[in-house]
Amino acid sequence: MQEIIIGIGVTALAGALAAVAGAAEDTESNIGSQGDPNSQVQLAPQMGYTHRIYNKAISGEPPAYTLWVTLACGVAWAFIMMNVNAVLAIIFGAVLATFVQGIYATTAYLGRTASLSKFGQPVFIDVLKSVTTVTMGHAFVAIFTTVTACYLMSTVLHHPFALPLLGVVWGLALGAAGSATGNPYYGKERQYQNQKFGAGVPISASGNIVRYAEAGQRSSIDNGFFTAKLGGPASGLCFGLIVFFELWRTVLFEPIANGWGAVVAGVVIILIFMIIDRYVEVWARKNYGPYTAAATEA
Amino acid sequence: MSAIAAKPAGNAGAFQPVASVIAIILAIVFIGVAYLLGNMGIFSGGAMVPMMTLVGIIVGAALIAFGVHFVPVGGAPAAMGQSPGIATGVAMLATGAGLAGLFGGAWAASLGFGVALAGGAIGGGLMMAVTCLMVNISYVYGMGIPAASGKVAKDPITGDSQAEYKSQGTEGHGLPFISYVGGVIGGLFGGLGGTLIYVQLLNFYNASFAAVGIVGEDAPVLAVGLAGIFAIGMFLVIAVLSAYNITGTIEGPHDPKFKRFPRAIVAAICASGICGLVAMLVVAVL
Repeated sequence: MQEIIIGIGVTALAGALAAVAGAAEDTESNIGSQGDPNSQVQLAPQMGYTHRIYNKAISGEPPAYTLWVTLACGVAWAFIMMNVNAVLAIIFGAVLATFVQGIYATTAYLGRTASLSKFGQPVFIDVLKSVTTVTMGHAFVAIFTTVTACYLMSTVLHHPFALPLLGVVWGLALGAAGSATGNPYYGKERQYQNQKFGAGVPISASGNIVRYAEAGQRSSIDNGFFTAKLGGPASGLCFGLIVFFELWRTVLFEPIANGWGAVVAGVVIILIFMIIDRYVEVWARKNYGPYTAAATEA
Repeated sequence: MSAIAAKPAGNAGAFQPVASVIAIILAIVFIGVAYLLGNMGIFSGGAMVPMMTLVGIIVGAALIAFGVHFVPVGGAPAAMGQSPGIATGVAMLATGAGLAGLFGGAWAASLGFGVALAGGAIGGGLMMAVTCLMVNISYVYGMGIPAASGKVAKDPITGDSQAEYKSQGTEGHGLPFISYVGGVIGGLFGGLGGTLIYVQLLNFYNASFAAVGIVGEDAPVLAVGLAGIFAIGMFLVIAVLSAYNITGTIEGPHDPKFKRFPRAIVAAICASGICGLVAMLVVAVL
């Protein structure tokens, strides 16, 4: 009984850590323009719109976060094996991974932006200096919380995978969840504020991203400020719910019917999510109605 | 022309019988090699155990390849609300769902074959169910856009008409219910296939270690680690193969590109044959 209660507590803690990780991950990737919308940032100078937005995507968030989280997990695991205090070991790992992220961010920004020099896009050294450290700060939060959640799964919940292998699994899942949920909000709602709210961006508008903020030119830090309101929390909720329900159904229902309890609980949770999704879909159709073309100004 | 407006040239999605037959023959050769190596004592467990392990791995890979085609992926255009689907890459999303499944499956592995497979499948499905819901919430409450598909007139499950909700100049946006269900099914297949590969390899490694006298506390840990690494590696191989088949974006089971899945399954059968053989050779008794 005691084990189950501890399991539930750890599940809740891991879910909360994952929620913070998801929010920080999305904000980090939006400041660094690492998600799918980076294609628009890369495209903009080619369409004649020079900008001050950071662009560091090389292979997208999931593989990048797999690298950073696995690296941090591996370093932490090695230190734990050397009998270093687990908290310190996780911090060491996360700091090292954050420095790797910083190097990656710097080289990616310089490389990608330099490739656009023929379209007149300059490399802004002040952007490099101010934005890189901000993405590193967010990356540290995302990596540290994910590694801590993995550590809890490994030691308290006794998952058979070693810490670095859990890092691969949850680093990729973190990137996938953040990328899926946060990207549309950054891509459409932030980069295309010159387009009508409540409609998709026409393909003909590709590359015409908004480049000016309230005062002067927009930098990527403004993107973090904007998307931290909805995209970040939504990504955090997404990753937090995945981790929470994945652990919760196993910890609580696995003892029932030799493991089949967890399977049945999973099916029930999936069906509940499906019903909520259908409700959201119908709500949107009812409240927004069919698409109407924007009235042209005289 | 943008990437999503481009149509594949010629018969890019067509099934190619000659290449498929060659791939199947190669897969049969790999299974034969596993049988022979087992017979010669290079693989422990006799002739049948390595062969059945490889067959299990190939079946798992085929399930993953099939499942990837269900996952609605819109890539960069989806992030702009230019096409329906989830705004990330095919390989990444399918692998994320599959690994979440593998996490659950590996956890349940000690409870038996059936529970592990079911646990893995549900883990993948659960990950996709949460992700797909949050994607729709982002679209509906963050951007004020209802879900609409450009590929079908009516949602095959709910019967909702699509065209009038589609913004002008786009191919659709959000996740219509059919895409949501497709995502969950894709996660189920991915988790199931990944866990099947993992369980097959885990049993094979455990048996191999026991046969050569590697016992004690570290042996099962090593077996779990090796099986986990190779299962994840094979997942990426199959997901990337299938991503080439999909070429960018797919809306789910109602998308015309979905019909290309036999090609991916054949490719997965061939690729997983050689990958599985390599994974087994790691513990060959020389």
